[in-house]
Amino acid sequence: MQDLLTVISLGSIYLLFALGMSLTWGTIDILNFSHGSIFMFSTFTSYLVLGETTLPFVAVALIAVVVGAVLSVAIQVLAFEQIIKRARTKKNAEMQILIGGIGIAIIPLAIAQHHTKSNPFGLRASSFEVETWLLGDLRVTNISVITIVVAVALWAAVSLWLHRSRHGLALRSIGVDAEVASLMGVDRRRLALATMAVSGGLAGLAGVLFTFSLGALTPESGDTLLVKAFAIIILGGVGSMLGVAFGAFFLAACEVWVLTQTSGSWVEAVSFGLIFLVLLVRPAGVFGRKEVRRT
Amino acid sequence: MMQFYFSNIVLIQATMTGLLLALSIQVPIRMGVFSFAGAGAYGIGCYAGAIFVLDHQLGAIPTIVITCLMTGVIVLALGVLIQKLTGLYLAMATVAFCLIISVIAINGGTTTGGSTGRYGVISDFTMGGMFAITAVALVLVALSERGRLGRRVDAVREDPELAASMGVNVRRYRLVAFAVSGVLGGLAGSMNILVRSAVSPLDIGFHLIVLALTMIIVGGSLSWKGAVLGALIFTWLPDLLKVVGQWQELIYGVIVALAAVLLPRGLYGIYVDTKRSVQRRRREAAGPPAGGSDDETHAERLEPEMEGQR
Repeated sequence: MQDLLTVISLGSIYLLFALGMSLTWGTIDILNFSHGSIFMFSTFTSYLVLGETTLPFVAVALIAVVVGAVLSVAIQVLAFEQIIKRARTKKNAEMQILIGGIGIAIIPLAIAQHHTKSNPFGLRASSFEVETWLLGDLRVTNISVITIVVAVALWAAVSLWLHRSRHGLALRSIGVDAEVASLMGVDRRRLALATMAVSGGLAGLAGVLFTFSLGALTPESGDTLLVKAFAIIILGGVGSMLGVAFGAFFLAACEVWVLTQTSGSWVEAVSFGLIFLVLLVRPAGVFGRKEVRRT
Repeated sequence: MMQFYFSNIVLIQATMTGLLLALSIQVPIRMGVFSFAGAGAYGIGCYAGAIFVLDHQLGAIPTIVITCLMTGVIVLALGVLIQKLTGLYLAMATVAFCLIISVIAINGGTTTGGSTGRYGVISDFTMGGMFAITAVALVLVALSERGRLGRRVDAVREDPELAASMGVNVRRYRLVAFAVSGVLGGLAGSMNILVRSAVSPLDIGFHLIVLALTMIIVGGSLSWKGAVLGALIFTWLPDLLKVVGQWQELIYGVIVALAAVLLPRGLYGIYVDTKRSVQRRRREAAGPPAGGSDDETHAERLEPEMEGQR
């Protein structure tokens, strides 16, 4: 039972993180490799602010969300839009966005590493206290409850928005055929910016929740999470909201299972192995629709 | 001169291994295969080199030969497995391959030395041998950019369907790209361990991919000259950047990001472009060619465009 709770709260953090990546990749075709850095840096900003004053939980989370959204929009405007504008073909643009993202990711990482000397940092200074309740044999922390509720609620909200609202429809139409979508009067640039902002905000929120539940965050943890998020998205199918939820909890379950079965540090290999397996057996993912574009 | 050589010997060695690592990722990119498996081969090469020298008492040359064959076969096998993937999916599958190598290195017990790695790898490897091997590899890669082979490689990258319709076996070229990338990566890794004498899981990992990509993107991704340029810059730049000390990483990131956004074809691409435009201006200054036929002007107009594909 305790393991099940671990799986669900770990999966919730994965879900929040991967949701933003899946959203941008599935709709506006941007696989943002600096997503992990945004995740880390927005938490890092909250940590810096907490060094000055004491703030309640909501304020800490809000700072991270805003910083994440701003960073993400800045990257979109300064880098990705420029790349798309200059690239000759869509394939070239994809590759350059991948490489540019890797380059950009180094910048916040270097700043945080310089400041913390690569030591883990936490959010202890906030007025939020982690409490543990005993329900029978089960140990439940308030932060895990918050994480699970927030993750599931936001996931549901994003899915509903994407599948029920007019903006969501417009966004999905970009994912299917960007040119036809513009002909139908979809403002691609504005929607792309909004999507990037949502994605960055989700990364910031995931960072704060992750740090509160584990106690600390190392500057490098964004990179590991990035590969895990990729595994999650591939597993569920790019752009599928149901898929991303399935992938997040499935990966969390696999990792917790490996952790309880082996003593070594094989946990890291789970996500990498999953990427391989899924790409070989079912490249479209469990819930993926057949990809239209094939080269 | 000799003074300079001996005081910078470590950097000279790093330039050569860095160059081979960059080539191991550049060669597949030139064939339109976006694979990072070369970095994984580098990791295998480091460990295999250490194991052959320490546990099997092999000499330097047999170690390098066996390691390269091994990494070539391993990466070729990987290529056969994932040959149906393209673009981002292929890239991420090979990233996963590289990261799995690190996890295996950490969990390998006494064979890989766990998280401390292997050290004390002393062999009869000489700098002369290193120069010779690097030069041979570089010449072979350079030759693949010329003549019929070079044109076929360009065709496979730019338009696989067209290449196939012209009788080029695209599938075979892609698999060869994997094998060559494995051999080059293994070569870089095994030479690195022979001159450095130690390897730990921290030495092989995601940052290798970043380093190789940096060299290729800033130098120029579609010519061996770009890789040489990139390897030179990014091996010697940290030494020159000592002034900025801890901010070196930050400057790296800024350079890569700027290069990816502003000069996707790298410094070598800029050089080619400037050379073209200078030549054109000179030709225009000399006046229109006397009695120039339509064919000639047409060819002239096409040329920069062709170069643009390169």
